[in-house]
Amino acid sequence: MSDNDDIKTDGSGPGIVAPDDEVPTWRERKERTTGLSRLTYEYFERARREDQDLRQESSYIERDVLGFPAWPHETVRNLAIGSVFVGMLLFLSATMPPHLGDPANPAVTPEIILPDWYLYWSFGLLQLGPINPDLAILGGEKIMSDELYGVLANVVVVGAIAIVPFLNKGGARRPVEQPFWAAVGVGGVMFAFTTSVLAIDNLLPIDPNITFDLTFLLPLVAAAIAYAVLKTMREGYMYDLNRRYYRLRPPR
Amino acid sequence: MANDDNYPVESDRRRFVKGVVGGAALSGVLTTGAVSVTSLTTPSGGGGGTMNYRGANRDLGPAPRSIPQIPIELDDDGNIMGLWPEPETREEGGVEFLVSEREFEVDGETVTYSTEWFQYCGLQTFQGIEPDADQDAYFRYDDAPPTNDYPWMENIIGGSQMNVDDFDQYEDWGNDIGDAGIGQPATGTWRSEDLPPEQTIPIFVMRSALIEELAEEDEWIAQTCPEGLIAFVGKCTHFCCVPNYKQLGESANFGAENKIYCQCHQSVYDPLNIVEEQFVSLPRPEDG
Repeated sequence: MSDNDDIKTDGSGPGIVAPDDEVPTWRERKERTTGLSRLTYEYFERARREDQDLRQESSYIERDVLGFPAWPHETVRNLAIGSVFVGMLLFLSATMPPHLGDPANPAVTPEIILPDWYLYWSFGLLQLGPINPDLAILGGEKIMSDELYGVLANVVVVGAIAIVPFLNKGGARRPVEQPFWAAVGVGGVMFAFTTSVLAIDNLLPIDPNITFDLTFLLPLVAAAIAYAVLKTMREGYMYDLNRRYYRLRPPR
Repeated sequence: MANDDNYPVESDRRRFVKGVVGGAALSGVLTTGAVSVTSLTTPSGGGGGTMNYRGANRDLGPAPRSIPQIPIELDDDGNIMGLWPEPETREEGGVEFLVSEREFEVDGETVTYSTEWFQYCGLQTFQGIEPDADQDAYFRYDDAPPTNDYPWMENIIGGSQMNVDDFDQYEDWGNDIGDAGIGQPATGTWRSEDLPPEQTIPIFVMRSALIEELAEEDEWIAQTCPEGLIAFVGKCTHFCCVPNYKQLGESANFGAENKIYCQCHQSVYDPLNIVEEQFVSLPRPEDG
C-alpha cells in the first residue's frame, strides 16, 4: 500500500500528526530548544525559583489580593484621573485670552533677553571661551573655535551625567557612607548652579571676570566642605550608633 | 531543528551580497538626502556673494564680524539720508538682478559701497532692501523715540525725518551711562515707511566730535560721515538682535559703556573704529 504511506495534505494518514502519547509537552519542547530561547527559559526559570524560595523563607504574610483587575477598577480610576486633566485643559483654553500678545517685533530687542531658566546651565557652558586654550605651536591660535568649545563642554557634561547609571558604586544609600562620591555630587550640583549664574552674568552687579572665576572655584569649595563635613560625621559618635540602629551595611 | 530551513544558509557569498545591496541602498538614501537638502537650502535669487565692507569693529563677544556702516549724505536742508545709489541691472550666471553700488576713492584705492552690505540676518528679504523699492533714502526717527535713554529726543516727533540740526548737543551730550561728549545718539528707521515692524530696518545714528576729528585723517570717514554723523544698521551680526548704545547700565560690565552693546550675548562694537572686513552677503529671494 504505497499510496497510504504517502503524506497527505488533508491530514489523514500517518506521518503528519503524531499520536498523542508521542507529542512532547510544552515544557519538554521548551527544554529541548537551544540558543537564545533556551537561555531565556533558564533565566526566567531560575528567577522564578529564587522568588519562590524567598517567599518560602520570608516571614511576611502572603496577601490574598495581589492587584486589582484592569476592568472595571483600574479603568474607572484612570478615566477619572484623565477627565480631571482634560477638564483642566478645556477650562484653561476657554478662559485664557486667545493670544499671548503681539507677535515678536524683530526691530526691537527686549532689555532682558534670556533663555528659559532651566537651560541657563547650558547657556553658561557656551560662554567658556576664556578657558579655550591657545596653543604655542599654532602661534597662539586656538585649536577650535569658542563656539565649538562651548558645544563640546555641553557634550562632556551631558556625557558625564549619562554614564552615572552605569557606575556601580555599591549599595550605599547615605552620603556618609561614600564621602568622596557624595562630595563629587555636591560639586556637580554647585557647578550646575554656578554655570547658570554665569549665563546671566550681564545682569549681576559683579565684574564678569569674577563671576567666571567663581564659576569654577565655588564648586571646588563646596565639594571640599561637603567632603570634610561627611568625613567628620562618619568619624563621629552618632554614625556608629546610627549604623547599629539601622543595621547599615558597614562601609568598606 | 525545524526552523533551520526558514532562512537560507549563512554563507560567504550571501554575506557579500548582503553587504553590496545594503551599501548601495545606504549610499542611495544618503545621496538623495544630501541632494534634496542642498536644493532646499541653496538660496535662490540674485545679488549677494563675498564682499568687502566697512563697519564698527567688533571689540568683544561672540559676534563674528563688525556691524556694517551706512554712508551718509545730507540734502540742502540738512536732512540725513543713507546713501542709496541709483540701481543698475547686472547679469551674472544668466541671472539678471539689480545692484546699488558706488565707488569711493580711499587712499588711492577703490572701495565699493553696495547696499548688499546689509543683506544678512533676514534683511535681504525686506522690501526696503530691494534696490528699486518704492522708498526714499531719508533716515526717520522711531515712532516712539527712546526718550528715557536719550532725553534729548523729547522734542522729536516720532517718524519725522532726521535733520543734522537736531544733533546740536553732539559735543557734550551724555546720559548717566558712560562718559559725556562721545557723541549724540539716535535710533531710527531707514527705507521702511508704511511697512510692518517685521519689515522695518532699524538704524543707529550718532553725531560725534570724535568722528569729525577722524574725518580729518581718514578719507573713508571724510566721504561717508558729513558733519560728524555716522550710521550703522541695527542688526547684531551674531544672532540679529538690535544692539543699543548707552541704554543699559550692564554694558559697563563689558567695557561697553561708550560703545554699541548687544544685550543678547554681550557683543560689543566700537562706533569710532571703522574697519574693513569681508563677509558673504545673502542673495535677495526672487519675487513670488
